Amino acid sequence: MNRDKQSEPSQPGRWVDGTLPPNVRLGQNTIITGDLAFKRFHCHEPDALCIGAHCTMDGVHFDLGEAGRMIIGDYCYFTNAVLLCELEICIGNYVVIGWNTTVADSDFHPIAPAERIADAVACSPLGKGRPRPPVVKQAVIIEDDVWIGPNATILKGVRIGTGALVEPGSLITRDVPPRARVMGNPAEIIGEVA
Amino acid sequence: MSRSARQLPWDWYEGEIPKNVAVDSTAYIETSYSFRFFRSEVPGGVEYGRGASTYLGTMFDVGPRGRVKLGDYALVHGARIICDNEILIGNHALISWNVVLMDTYRLPANSAGRRHELELMPQRELRIAAADVPARPIHIGPNVWIGFETCVLPGVTIGEGSVIGARSVVTTNVPPFTIAAGNPARIVRPLTAEEMKSHAA
Repeated sequence: MNRDKQSEPSQPGRWVDGTLPPNVRLGQNTIITGDLAFKRFHCHEPDALCIGAHCTMDGVHFDLGEAGRMIIGDYCYFTNAVLLCELEICIGNYVVIGWNTTVADSDFHPIAPAERIADAVACSPLGKGRPRPPVVKQAVIIEDDVWIGPNATILKGVRIGTGALVEPGSLITRDVPPRARVMGNPAEIIGEVA
Repeated sequence: MSRSARQLPWDWYEGEIPKNVAVDSTAYIETSYSFRFFRSEVPGGVEYGRGASTYLGTMFDVGPRGRVKLGDYALVHGARIICDNEILIGNHALISWNVVLMDTYRLPANSAGRRHELELMPQRELRIAAADVPARPIHIGPNVWIGFETCVLPGVTIGEGSVIGARSVVTTNVPPFTIAAGNPARIVRPLTAEEMKSHAA
């Protein structure tokens, strides 16, 4: 951001450190920084990633699998978040995600040991062309006005309700009600937003 | 290409050490990239003691009135230091990678206030928050060891010689010579007489 000219509100969205993949849409005045933003962007579907206007995505990793689809609203501010998307991650407006926080909509490997052996082989250098066993994927939904602190982890299938506050370092495995304050590993409700 | 006196001869990043950062001649800074978000206007916005060091991954996200002090031999491997008030790190303290030390939440706790700030931020050159949000100092005592990916929240004091386990979230004060861990962090036990044996009181 400081490597570039000051942004004018009328500027189109852009990635400061490279050429955007053709299936990424950015709203007006949205900025993405960081060399690694699209290093693991494997989706070729149209409009795989759509980000609204006036967002700041500083050092964020957009790691989309072949079938991943991610939608982010307006006025969002993410710092070095790692977004791992195999199915769908849907994020509302005015959402803040703190430094080094991970959001994942999949566990990436099966739980059953025999299936995991098959998966390890399929993922190995010797596994070319072998199909991988099915893996559980569940969409993650983060509603408007959610604040998520640094070093947090948001796992698959979770819906975080409007205005909720996720304290730093929290591990979220279940839905968070609107306006709740949560903390801990696993996270528990510790209060409500004033 | 010639480098200025405020640049580091070994640096891969073409930045400078800000003028109000006081670095002892025996201290070590791996990269000036750590100061990319440094905007303190206070004299001695960061002070490095004798033999103090900060390595790659350390980021001084320090606001205009923020002040950070690293004691003698303090070693910061890679911490995100979010400071609008004061963060003091004692002598011989060891801070591991991906640790977050935050004396402020930076944005208002209520949605309306946060929306207002999020609408202003994209108009600023650094796109950084400048809301008037409370900041309470963090004091990390001498000889403290903080494990990786731990978060230390606003207002926390960690007493001399204590050890914080990896991935902890420290929400309240930790007494001296104590082991604490967990999320939220709890006291595990005091250090034993055996462990304290050769410690000069």
